[in-house]
Amino acid sequence: MGMKRKAFIGRIVLLVFLTILAIIYIYPVFLMFMNSFKPFGEVVSSPIDLPKEPTFENITYVVKKIHYGNLFVNNVMITVIGIVGIVFFSSLAAYILDRRRNRYTGIVYTLIITPMLIPFQTIMITLLKAMNIIHLDQSRVGLGIQYWGFGIPMATFIFFNFMKTIPKEIDESAKIDGASTWKTYTAIIFPLMKPVTFTVIVLDVMWIWNDFLLPLLMVNSSNKTKTLVLAAYTFVGQMNTKWQYAMAAMALTVLPSIIIFILLQKYIVEGVVAGAVKG
Amino acid sequence: MNKISRRQQKERLETFCFTIPALILVTVMMYIPFIMSGYYSMTEWNGISKDAVFVGADNFIKLFSSGSNFTETLLFTIKYTLFFIVFSNVIALALAVALTQKFKLANVFRGLFFIPYIMSMTIVGFIWKFIFTKGFEKLFDITGLGFLNFSWLGDPHLAFYSVGFVGVWQALGFYIVLYIAGLQAVPKDVLEAAVVDGATPIQKFRYVTLPLLGPSITTCIFMSLTNGLKVFDIILALTKGGPGTSTYSTTMQIYQEAFTNNNYGMGSAEAIIYFVFVLIATQLVLKLMSKLEVDL
Repeated sequence: MGMKRKAFIGRIVLLVFLTILAIIYIYPVFLMFMNSFKPFGEVVSSPIDLPKEPTFENITYVVKKIHYGNLFVNNVMITVIGIVGIVFFSSLAAYILDRRRNRYTGIVYTLIITPMLIPFQTIMITLLKAMNIIHLDQSRVGLGIQYWGFGIPMATFIFFNFMKTIPKEIDESAKIDGASTWKTYTAIIFPLMKPVTFTVIVLDVMWIWNDFLLPLLMVNSSNKTKTLVLAAYTFVGQMNTKWQYAMAAMALTVLPSIIIFILLQKYIVEGVVAGAVKG
Repeated sequence: MNKISRRQQKERLETFCFTIPALILVTVMMYIPFIMSGYYSMTEWNGISKDAVFVGADNFIKLFSSGSNFTETLLFTIKYTLFFIVFSNVIALALAVALTQKFKLANVFRGLFFIPYIMSMTIVGFIWKFIFTKGFEKLFDITGLGFLNFSWLGDPHLAFYSVGFVGVWQALGFYIVLYIAGLQAVPKDVLEAAVVDGATPIQKFRYVTLPLLGPSITTCIFMSLTNGLKVFDIILALTKGGPGTSTYSTTMQIYQEAFTNNNYGMGSAEAIIYFVFVLIATQLVLKLMSKLEVDL
């Protein structure tokens, strides 16, 4: 009886502690949303309270000022181009690299995954020059294509490890039925890769959507090509930050991610865990 | 005979066509800039002029001479990474243990802790910049707690902890979910057997759960190592490396050297040293971890 009671109290204490901790933990995010509905004076005078008279003025100002719609489209465009290329080229390469093991594929596999060891800051300076030469800089499509090169090593590694778990008999029987290699990939192998494709998509969407340094180097000079994070960055860049606008810009940047996360929490968390364990 | 070789030829062509796009993309985006960095690290180059002046190992010598703060940035990066590894792993593991207890809100809490991780680090940095300045000031007025009145971003000593704290806050949810996955994979019957044998909860954790958690710990420490070494966005948003140069990470130093000071040659030399530094650090930790995993 005593043991049970002790355990029960223990659980209550734990639950209360976790609840308080979780509220404090998430409060900064909540605070950002709250402050985007306050006029400037109130942001400064009562930064941590609920808005007294909520106003949409900051939001409408920021939406107009940064052309939120355009920037949102830019983000979507860069992310989609990046993801499609990474998934396509990596899965295609991983399929062949696993199924035809010889000296050539061995070397190619090593060459493709080794750049995982190169930190971005090691190549960023000269990347700017290299991309300028082949005209992939200052362009949204160009930036999307650049993500192919940066995303392929890790994605190929993940796809390759998954290919090992798909029995060879499956594609051999397709071959006997007369399917070409390409047809086998599109009709059989790629659909079978679905779970791991989802992992790659989750990891790379989070990375590309929120990425800062590469877009800063490549697309920051024109409002037509900017991304949401870059726009939010400009609001805090000056000496006297207009926090009410900065908060609204940041809230508008983060909101899509949070909505998607709430809708797909289970899958996103699963994808992230799988990616870390395999990657 | 002829027929076989034709089929072989076709297969070879296929293998080539299926793998070459990935290889070309990786070469263009990573290998070529990497080789260029190697070359420019031995030059003096302002990024604009066409020809860079070849200076041999001069940049590397300058980097480690007394006038340069490059070594300091490496030390800061090591210090930050250690802080980040220790706190994100210890706190995440503790919270993961708490969150794997059976209660209704467990899933909601997991989601809450994960939210900062899906946010851009630049934005995370700005939110905390606001809290450290405006938010803490207000909280101090209300509560009178002394620590709220400290200059968390303005004092060189404190700024390190602020940056480290925000780094951990942003990434914690990621390590929590990894540890939760690891904890859930620990077989229930083994834990029950330990209880039957009279193990206390702490003994159960130390001698049953922890050893079985070895692979998760290795993954998390390795991930936190690579993420810690890469720190940039949060520092740029929070302190811009300041006050003074107290929170200058190596990544920050490379960025400023090239894009603010226009010393592209020197920046490239720093970038190459940084690469070697990251390579050594990750290999060392991997070796260490594989040894420790056996000891657990």
